[in-house]
Amino acid sequence: MDIKDLNELRGDFEELQRRNASLECADGSCVSDEQAREDYPDYLRAIYAEIMPPAKSGVYFSRWDLKTMAAQLDESFALDVRERMFQKFMQWVATPEDMQGVMNEFKKLMDMKCDIYRDYAVKYPSTKESFDKKIQKAEAAKKYLDKVYTEFFTE
Amino acid sequence: MQENLKMQQQTRINIYALISRLLMNEVDEELLELILKDKNMLSFFPTFKDWGKRKSMSNKDLIERYLNVDFTNLLLLHVIPYESFYMRDDQMMETGGDNPVQQIYNDYDFRVELDKARVMAGDHIGVELEFMYKLCTAENEALEDGAFDVAAQIAAIQHDFLKEHLVEWAPLFLLNVKNEAGTAFYFDLADVALEFILSDFEYLDRLKNDAYNYQNIEEIA
Repeated sequence: MDIKDLNELRGDFEELQRRNASLECADGSCVSDEQAREDYPDYLRAIYAEIMPPAKSGVYFSRWDLKTMAAQLDESFALDVRERMFQKFMQWVATPEDMQGVMNEFKKLMDMKCDIYRDYAVKYPSTKESFDKKIQKAEAAKKYLDKVYTEFFTE
Repeated sequence: MQENLKMQQQTRINIYALISRLLMNEVDEELLELILKDKNMLSFFPTFKDWGKRKSMSNKDLIERYLNVDFTNLLLLHVIPYESFYMRDDQMMETGGDNPVQQIYNDYDFRVELDKARVMAGDHIGVELEFMYKLCTAENEALEDGAFDVAAQIAAIQHDFLKEHLVEWAPLFLLNVKNEAGTAFYFDLADVALEFILSDFEYLDRLKNDAYNYQNIEEIA
């Protein structure tokens, strides 16, 4: 099977998904993308834009990372596109304590990765500059999470 | 060429070739057999060497039931092996000609056959490592010809490519591969690839700081 075949297969699969989605929505019971967006506050979109890109936070949160972090809070969702998984994780948040729990999981993972970065920077001193930048980004990302929590979840 | 320099260059070429190949495509029986028979290569896979499943089934079964599944999970489905995802603020992949890595390849006449490699863009980890392999091979040829200035220029390209590209993003990718690997083989592969990229940058940085003086290779390496 070559790339062309794979692309055709992907196209067929997406078409099938679209058709199934429209059938399921025929009775108006499903939530449209637009409705879902309305239920999804701007600050969560901002967190996604500031924390999830490795270029901004210095850390890569994979799909399994999201699933593992959710599992720590006794939450579970299917593997999906990263953005949708992030949204599901955030939609689970119902109280300030939940949000604190989610943020702590993100921070724990960032701290764990930064510890590994520090070890490599010591072992391979020429890479220190690169790893230090990532650590600084992670620290800034953690501060950003605190700021969001203070603004939106405390009186 | 000094014997230790020759050995150093050959080792770098071999490791780049091996990790590039294994991160680009599924391992096949022939390559697995080669790894298992070669003491040096097997030493890169210490966990896999003692892995119970490896000892309990044929290489064919091992590949079909475990290694290919893990390769698909890690490199095709769950962990993203493309540089642009890690470097761009919008975490999008750049699959077109505007990809900065593709432009570097064009500058050095390195042609990537995306369909043959079964990758979507030239900034795939396997392709970037293959670029390093080609550069190391070219550097080695220059050294064998006694063209030390040319070798130094090629080493400088390698240094800058590692600094601006692989060292910047490969650790993020490989740490997740290591963490999410379901087999000892891909756990070890991620570990050896990560350690090698960082240690090779360390070597090239020392070589650069020593004005690419290959005579001092014993102290540098």
